[in-house]
Amino acid sequence: MEVYQLDDLTQLQQHLLVQHQLYQVIKNDDEQCAWQQQTKEANEPLIAMLPQSSAKNFFFAEHESLLIFNGDYFQETLPTPEPFVLFGVLSCDLTAISYQDKFFQDDPYYQARRKQCLLVGLDCIQPCQQGFCPTVDAGPGVRQHNADIILHPLANQQWLLITTNDKGAEAIKGLALTTSHWHLLTQRDLTLRQCEQDFPDHSYIINGIDKLNSGEIKDSFWQQLAVQCLGCSGCTTLCPTCSCYSTRSISVESEQNKVIKQERFWDSCLYESFQREASFHNPSSEAGKRVQRFWQHKFGNEFFTTFNRHGCVGCGRCEQTCPGVIGVHSVMKRITNDA
Amino acid sequence: MSASLIKTTCPFCGVGCGMYLKVNQHGQLLSVEPQQSHPISQGKLCDKGWSTAYAIDSYQRITQPLKRINKSFYPISWHEALTTIADELTAIIDESGSNTVGIISSARASNEDNYAAQKFARAVLKTNNIDHCARICHSPTVAGLKQSLGSGAMTNSAKDIFQTDLILVIGADPTENHSILGGHIMQAHAQGTELIVVDPRVTRLAKLTPMHLQLKLGSNIALINALLHVIIKEQWFDENFVKSRCQGFEQLVKHVKAITPESVESVTGVDAELIRATARAYSQAERAMIFYGMGITQYVSGTNNVISLANLALSCGHIGKAGTGVNPLRGQNNVQGACDMGCLPNVYPGYQAVAELVNQEKFSKAWGTEVAQPPGLTSLGMTKAAQSGDFRALLLFGEDPVVTDPDQNHVQSSLKNLDLLVVAELTMTETAKLADIILPAVSFAEKDGTFTNCERRVQKVNQALAPLAEAKGDWQWLQALAKQMGSQALNWQNSEEVFNEMASLTPAYQAMTYQKIADKSGLQWPCTKETPDGTAILHQQSFPIGKARFICVNQVDIDEPIDENYPLLLTTNRLHFHYGCGSMTRKSPLLERETPPGILFINPDDAKALHITHQAPVSVKSRRGYVETRAMLSDDVPIGIVAMPYHFKEAPSNQLTNTAQDPVTKMPELKACAVVVTALAKGIAPKTIQQLQEAQ
Amino acid sequence: MLNHIPDPIELVNYIDDGEQARHFQFRLLNIQKISEKSTVKSIDKHQWHNAKPGQFFMLNVPSIGEAAFTFTEPPNEQGEFRALIRQMGKLTRTLFTLPKGEVLGARGPFGRGWPLERIAQHNIIIIAGGCGLAPLVNLINNFTATKSRNLADNQQLVLIYGAQSKAAQLLTTERMRWQKQIKIYNTLDEVEHQYTLAENESQGTPVDCIDSALASFTRPVTIALLCGPESMMQSAAKRLVKSGLASKDIFLAIERRMHCAVGLCGHCYLNQHYVCKNGPTFSWQELQ
Repeated sequence: MEVYQLDDLTQLQQHLLVQHQLYQVIKNDDEQCAWQQQTKEANEPLIAMLPQSSAKNFFFAEHESLLIFNGDYFQETLPTPEPFVLFGVLSCDLTAISYQDKFFQDDPYYQARRKQCLLVGLDCIQPCQQGFCPTVDAGPGVRQHNADIILHPLANQQWLLITTNDKGAEAIKGLALTTSHWHLLTQRDLTLRQCEQDFPDHSYIINGIDKLNSGEIKDSFWQQLAVQCLGCSGCTTLCPTCSCYSTRSISVESEQNKVIKQERFWDSCLYESFQREASFHNPSSEAGKRVQRFWQHKFGNEFFTTFNRHGCVGCGRCEQTCPGVIGVHSVMKRITNDA
Repeated sequence: MSASLIKTTCPFCGVGCGMYLKVNQHGQLLSVEPQQSHPISQGKLCDKGWSTAYAIDSYQRITQPLKRINKSFYPISWHEALTTIADELTAIIDESGSNTVGIISSARASNEDNYAAQKFARAVLKTNNIDHCARICHSPTVAGLKQSLGSGAMTNSAKDIFQTDLILVIGADPTENHSILGGHIMQAHAQGTELIVVDPRVTRLAKLTPMHLQLKLGSNIALINALLHVIIKEQWFDENFVKSRCQGFEQLVKHVKAITPESVESVTGVDAELIRATARAYSQAERAMIFYGMGITQYVSGTNNVISLANLALSCGHIGKAGTGVNPLRGQNNVQGACDMGCLPNVYPGYQAVAELVNQEKFSKAWGTEVAQPPGLTSLGMTKAAQSGDFRALLLFGEDPVVTDPDQNHVQSSLKNLDLLVVAELTMTETAKLADIILPAVSFAEKDGTFTNCERRVQKVNQALAPLAEAKGDWQWLQALAKQMGSQALNWQNSEEVFNEMASLTPAYQAMTYQKIADKSGLQWPCTKETPDGTAILHQQSFPIGKARFICVNQVDIDEPIDENYPLLLTTNRLHFHYGCGSMTRKSPLLERETPPGILFINPDDAKALHITHQAPVSVKSRRGYVETRAMLSDDVPIGIVAMPYHFKEAPSNQLTNTAQDPVTKMPELKACAVVVTALAKGIAPKTIQQLQEAQ
Repeated sequence: MLNHIPDPIELVNYIDDGEQARHFQFRLLNIQKISEKSTVKSIDKHQWHNAKPGQFFMLNVPSIGEAAFTFTEPPNEQGEFRALIRQMGKLTRTLFTLPKGEVLGARGPFGRGWPLERIAQHNIIIIAGGCGLAPLVNLINNFTATKSRNLADNQQLVLIYGAQSKAAQLLTTERMRWQKQIKIYNTLDEVEHQYTLAENESQGTPVDCIDSALASFTRPVTIALLCGPESMMQSAAKRLVKSGLASKDIFLAIERRMHCAVGLCGHCYLNQHYVCKNGPTFSWQELQ
């Protein structure tokens, strides 16, 4: 780990742009934040704002071709992206990437993209609206193992730059940087600790998780909650750790020939048909069971042991997008109060 | 991956949620993202909205004009398509007159497309034969509210859901059909707003409230009159409001005097005490708002049903203020706009009556050509006249009446009887299969324009993708066709010009511009010089007709009750994962997976008596038709009633539905008809209507 | 890295069995091609030669998609293998229309098969319902094959096979053959009134037969293998536990919708397990 002080952020952006495509969260006129590609000419400020869509589709694409069949044999269609950098990923989303890195460890499509990516993390020094990363050990400061480079805002437009591994160190080679005083790291810790303290009281989430794992919640609670699940797929689409997908075959006719393409695309375990078999047998035909499964998958101890953490990274996107008002805050409050 | 985000309006349903289309550097639509700052949807979408990219995917789209020869379609050039259509139209008009041709426009298309369609009909074809699907969703709303209040639209706004004390949902299933508004209602209810649901089925909202009035099909007026009886008897009405803002209250008092809750118990099936409790809750609430849908309009008594809801709201003064009103939930993304644009046989844009000479002169002058004078035919009128050969050529876009209109067999044979049927569509539909010429249409993502949502909010639709192959926007091909027929009436340069011309002729839209719509996240009409920022709540000071009218209406029983041969009542419903004929939503592999192609909801007790198991194949027969489908056993439908969604071309409920009509608006009674249901042999898939018809 | 890519296979032959079910014979194409040209026996990126009873493969019907099926005979030296497939949904409906010689795809073998190491030397009761007999065919064949009779001395094997009706019964020839060496109870959910039940047939479900089947063993049963409708397996497992079997000795083969077969797509979840990866065979203990 090396620690530097950075006076001009654009220098770093320009440096990285030499060998990478660079993506950054940009806020548009409607205050909508989204990952956008930056060119050498663009000099958008780095903002610590949660984009509505996490960065997961950079690695696990919403739709992607798995293979093509030409009538004789099946051919893998691996993606071949240029090296790219995600510049300024917040800690919750970085935690999610690390979670998915583990889950998709042996998936060639995911890894083909992932290995091309340099992750530059950005510390949050203020709580965001729906977030509760400290409660689930996912922020607000970037965890050392989750990014190649960490940026921390200092006073006077200056930045603390931390390289956490060889990849990060390699990426900033050639950039004129001042090695930082270690006391700035202490200051970072203090700032982050203060930020953690500024979060509202989220003890209902901790209570909710405990109760969820106590096995005491009745089926009737989940059934009642599931009346409000409209099966929209918003939560699973925006959740940075959700990874379920489905596949389909489609015929692609070009002028030369006709091939069959098999693609995979994001699915949602909240759809009634997610597990339904051709025989109509459906182990999760009840909405209550599906809603329970979703939350169990995010907070159940049985999954914690596999991933060494919860499946939820505390970004709060599900709360914001759920039309049925059963996102994480609402559900945890109801579990705590009513279950 | 990274993509540019283009802001637009969701193409499904009348809520009009804000979304971005994510387009990659190759100009391909990847997916959508909800717009967080949108005044209604606030970063939420329903499953249909999330599936938009599948719905308009280039896969399976029609990419060039097609001409039918016998049963096959062959690609032709636009030039050939347009000359063929123009020549045939001209020949038919010369031979039989302009009243034998017409247009059915689309509640899915933009205001600009709809404005162009009615102008094409009136100024180029010289006919008032212009209509669209509002006929079969909310024509009774327009007719009923116009009489009672003077304006046929939602009186209040979506945001009022969070400013009211009580929400009465009657004959509507908002969580399925207007999911985001349904979600708002759930949220408001969770925060303490009282919720009353009146519906024969146990809808999702009904499951959340103890106040569920599970009335019998078609007994709305009896129930509402009984509510009025209680409100008047207990002196719970708003005397001040009734005196100062309304007329005709005395007759209403007399009219409902004998209609006690007890007297309607057997007709409605609702307990008298529950009726009293509802009357008290609704009338005593500080602010109360009514939402209704097609469970009100799709009856032979549709117009009167709407009028009785207006009576209810007026009597309690629950109108003209925030958190109140009579609020129809309009089905399609732009059904409000298509009506506003005058795609109706009797009105010009802005509901200016065709029958009035001054309006004829206004439009003749504005359009620089003599407009048609004789009244036009409704869509059902056109198909009826086609049957007898009195109607010969139809241009149709963005609709699939073969699937969505009542009595499918009648529609099909009528359309086959036409000399010329032109259909502009995204994908091959059942109606398009009957066309002589099919024109490739662009999707909403490939055009600029505006949609008007159910709260009268005009919102921008922005082009995100280049038109697919040879596809054209609707006003653009209408323009080309007009030119081919020698008319310059549709010669606009861009959508904004169409909008500006329309706004100059439509009083409620007069102060709107594209720029202002974009800046204000949409504008709610009326938007005039006096109300330049639009109007969130109608009728605040007065009604367009001065004083609102109480109109006495009587219970009308459904047209086709059950009997020995047809012992079950069939009602129609919708599923939240599909939209209309399913031509868009069924292209999503996820939404398509959700149900088999065609289902019938049946109460487990009825199913048991008929030896029907869950997902088993069944037949459903009415006096008009026969379909095969799969049974879904559900306690959500009461004993004696079966429900069928109309999205599936394989098992269309409109094979079965009744054609009996509301005398005022010709709205067919789609919500109730008598059927017989029979179990089919297990293990064999139900036959599609196409297979059944081929077998005949 | 995981391999999502199927090997091409040829649909060699098929034979109808029961109602809307067929035995399909497939042949791996690349194995053959490679062995013709070189001494390397196969590229076998999918480890076909390691297939174990109870494991499954993903059949790819191009233009439709993939679905999971078990082997009734795993791939032999020539790359030939068999599966018993029932017509159910779109994929199988299409499969049943395909001519011999058609090129399809297959990936596999996947999952955890029957616990062979636990089975040896033990007395075994097998309870199967409907198509659920398919994953057990290979195993029972191994035990009953005349040439290499794998049943150890004193080792007993009893099969209870349930079907909806006489017409719906599958694997009749195989059962006739097995019957010479092992005891078989056949149950039928529905019996037509003219029909006279044979000696080893009874009306009811397999669970109804468990007591008498257990009584027929001379030494106590120690292992139970279950496959069929999930509700039937659950009742059977509970009954066996009541009769003294340890839940760790009862094994169930679970069926789920699957897209990837390698623990990624999420469809086949069962509590914290993925059936494709952690199953499809689970002990009753694991499922508690």
